[in-house]
Parts: sequence; structure tokens; C-alpha cells
Amino acid sequence: MTNCENTRERLTLYLDNELQGDERALVEAHVETCDSCASFVEKELTFLNTVRKSGPLHAASPELKAKVSEILSSSQEPVVRESSRRMRWMLPVAAALLVLLLPVVVWRIVRQNDHPENGVPSAFALKAAESHLKHIRGQLPLEVTSSEPEEISEWFENKVNFHVKLPSYQETSGQEILYTLEGGRLVNFQNDYAAYVSYHMKDRPISLVITSELLAQPSGGEEIASKGLMFHFNAIDGLKVITWSDRGLTYALVSDLEERGHQSCIVCHQGTKDQDFIEPLKRH
Amino acid sequence: MLEHLDALYGYAMTLTRDKTEAEDLVQETYLRAVRAANQPAPEENLRAWLFVIMRNTWLNVMRHKQHGVQIFDDGTTETAVSDINTNPHVVYLRKLERELVHEAIASLPVRHREIIVLRDIEGFSYHEIATVLNCPAGTVMSRLGRARGKLRDALSARQKVHRRFG
Repeated sequence: MTNCENTRERLTLYLDNELQGDERALVEAHVETCDSCASFVEKELTFLNTVRKSGPLHAASPELKAKVSEILSSSQEPVVRESSRRMRWMLPVAAALLVLLLPVVVWRIVRQNDHPENGVPSAFALKAAESHLKHIRGQLPLEVTSSEPEEISEWFENKVNFHVKLPSYQETSGQEILYTLEGGRLVNFQNDYAAYVSYHMKDRPISLVITSELLAQPSGGEEIASKGLMFHFNAIDGLKVITWSDRGLTYALVSDLEERGHQSCIVCHQGTKDQDFIEPLKRH
Repeated sequence: MLEHLDALYGYAMTLTRDKTEAEDLVQETYLRAVRAANQPAPEENLRAWLFVIMRNTWLNVMRHKQHGVQIFDDGTTETAVSDINTNPHVVYLRKLERELVHEAIASLPVRHREIIVLRDIEGFSYHEIATVLNCPAGTVMSRLGRARGKLRDALSARQKVHRRFG
């Protein structure tokens, strides 16, 4: 903490109570010995206190309070009464339906076990599909744009709690250029940030979402092992979602490629020299 | 949920700058909240969740409007916030300072004034603000820095005018 330029950003975090433990102690120790930073903190605190003490900006009128109270009370009581009234005739109907549908339910469960591709997608696979759709709709604009894997990987440094190293697979394998890297951004997953990376294959968007294996474990869907990894293939909202874990990270790849399940892997990796990755997929 | 009413109304005024629209927005937010099936269980998340609902509701309203955000109108009369200090002159000075700050906040573009309100008036953490604004925490920090810079300029200009003509 010798450079005051670097410290200024930390001082703002400090004043906003965003630093804890050692980080906070480090900033406090620096401020005690640095007149320039101490003066900065004093000025900032004066300004922030002026703003903070000016609140609250507005107070709701008694009329509004009465209306909101009515919304809150009317939403609770009738719903309970309504549901209990409904329950009286719903119970025998539900029991009758259960008896009628039981053979179908059992058949579905047995069938699902026989065909794991019908399994429920993991929360991470669903999140990846949602992010892909939002990005296509323009609701998730990229925060960094580049076609260089190293540049995007570098951008994620210190933004996510894991190390992102995007593959420069295409460039090093000697295969023809089939897809293009577009850029990346952060997305929320399990109260933390996941890395979202966007690719294009001709005019078709492909999304790669990466998080820590501690937060997401691939599950459900059609399972195929290749090169020591287990890939899970799901169809979500017409999209193909492939999830897998490797070296502490969990990945989800989303595309609208028409090829079924694992065949969609081959689309990007065709012509690759990495035949030991592709061959097991082709056998399925 | 009622304990968050003033904060939500303050945020609604920040977004709409119109008393009637703000009151409608507050009621719509509460209606959506009580109808929602996914109400958060822990109390600490409830406030941020209500703010998210309000912001999304407001964004929907704005998308359906052809003319966009209304031009600033400060003609609304607000319920006075009580001051525990009874010295009339001190009360007057504090009220004046508060009004200058409120004016300065209101003069900012909506993306700046809402982040100031969320952080410095409502005391949300960066993480909570990122949830409400649906953006990364890094964006919160940079946008907050720019917003505070603008607010500092706006407040300082008002204080100078007041010293000269007040």
C-alpha cells in the first residue's frame, strides 16, 4: 500500500463500508501515516455525511400509507379463506386424479430413469440458458468486447472468484476458423458472479458460462463421458445446453445448434486435431 | 412490508419525480409483491427485493410510454421530515442544507440520482445495489463515483448561489 493512486479506489470502498478484516486494517494503517490520503478521507466524509444526513428524501403521505395497508391486509385474509374453501372440494378431486394418474406417473418415472436425457436440468444449466436468451434480446450487453481469448480472460481477473482461462483451442489446433469470440460480462449466480462469454458461429450465437465447481455441479440430462470428463446434455427452451466440470470449474455451453445433444460438440470441434476428444462423442 | 413504505416512496419519487406517479408506482409495487409466489424468506432480502420489483415495474411503464421520462417538476409538496433539534435557527440551517442536497440530487440524470439514493440515502451495499440495478458490482462502483462527482458539482454550485443571494 505504498502507492496513493492505488489506495484512492480502496479509500472509496473503505468509506462505503465495503472492506472488511485485513483489507480494512491495511487501508486504516495507510491513512494514519499518509497526510494526503487522510485529507482525502476527511473531505469525502464531510461530503458523504452531508448527503447521508439529508435523508430521507420523501415521506409517504398518510393516504398512501392507508392504501398500502389495505393492499397488504386484503391480500392476506381472503386468500387464506379462499384457499381453505377451495381445499374442501379439491381434496377428493385430487385423490381421484391421483388414483387415475398413478400408473402414468409411475411409467414416467421409470421411463425417465431409462432415458436420463429427460432429467431435470441443473440450476446452472437453466441460468446459462436464461443468460443466453437475455443476451440475444439485448438485455445482457457485453462489458468487454474482443476476439482475443487472452484479453477476455484477463478482463475477468479480480472480478470473479476463480481463474478464467479461455481456450485458444481453435487457433492452436490448426482447424479452420469456425467460431468467433465476441466478448464477456459478469452474470449473477448463487449470490456470486459467474463469467459469461459470448461466441458467434456464422450468425448463430453461442454462450459459455463459467462458475466455480463449489457453486454448481453438472447434473441431469443425457450423460456422455469423453476424455475423462462427464458431459451433461439438456434441451432447455429449444436450446442445447452442455454442462461439465473440469479442474475446479463448471462450464455451461448454450447454443441453438440443431444437432442433437453431443453432436453439437462436434460442430465446433470438427476438423480438430484433438481426435481423442471427438472420437468418443462420435461413437454415441 | 409496510416498514419499507417511506424508502420505497423515496425511491419512486427519485425515479418518477412526480408525486402521483410515485404513489401509483408504490401501490403497484406492493400489489406485485403480495401476489408474487417467490417472496424472500429472510428479512434482510425483503427490502432489496421490493426495490427490484419497483424498478422493474417502473422500467415497464417507461417502455410503454412514448415520451420517456417526464421533465423535472419540483412542484410537489412533501411531508416535512421532523427534526429533533428545537433551536429554530439550527433547524432552519439544517432544513436549508437538506433542501440544497435534495435539489442537487433531483438535478442529476436518473441513473445517477438513483444510485446516490440507493447507496447514500438508503444505505444499500454494493452487492444489493447490483441486485436492484441488475448490473455487476464493478459497474456500481464506477457509476457511483461518477454520480458523486456530478452531485458534488451540483451541490457546490447551489451553495455558492445561496451564499451570494441567500
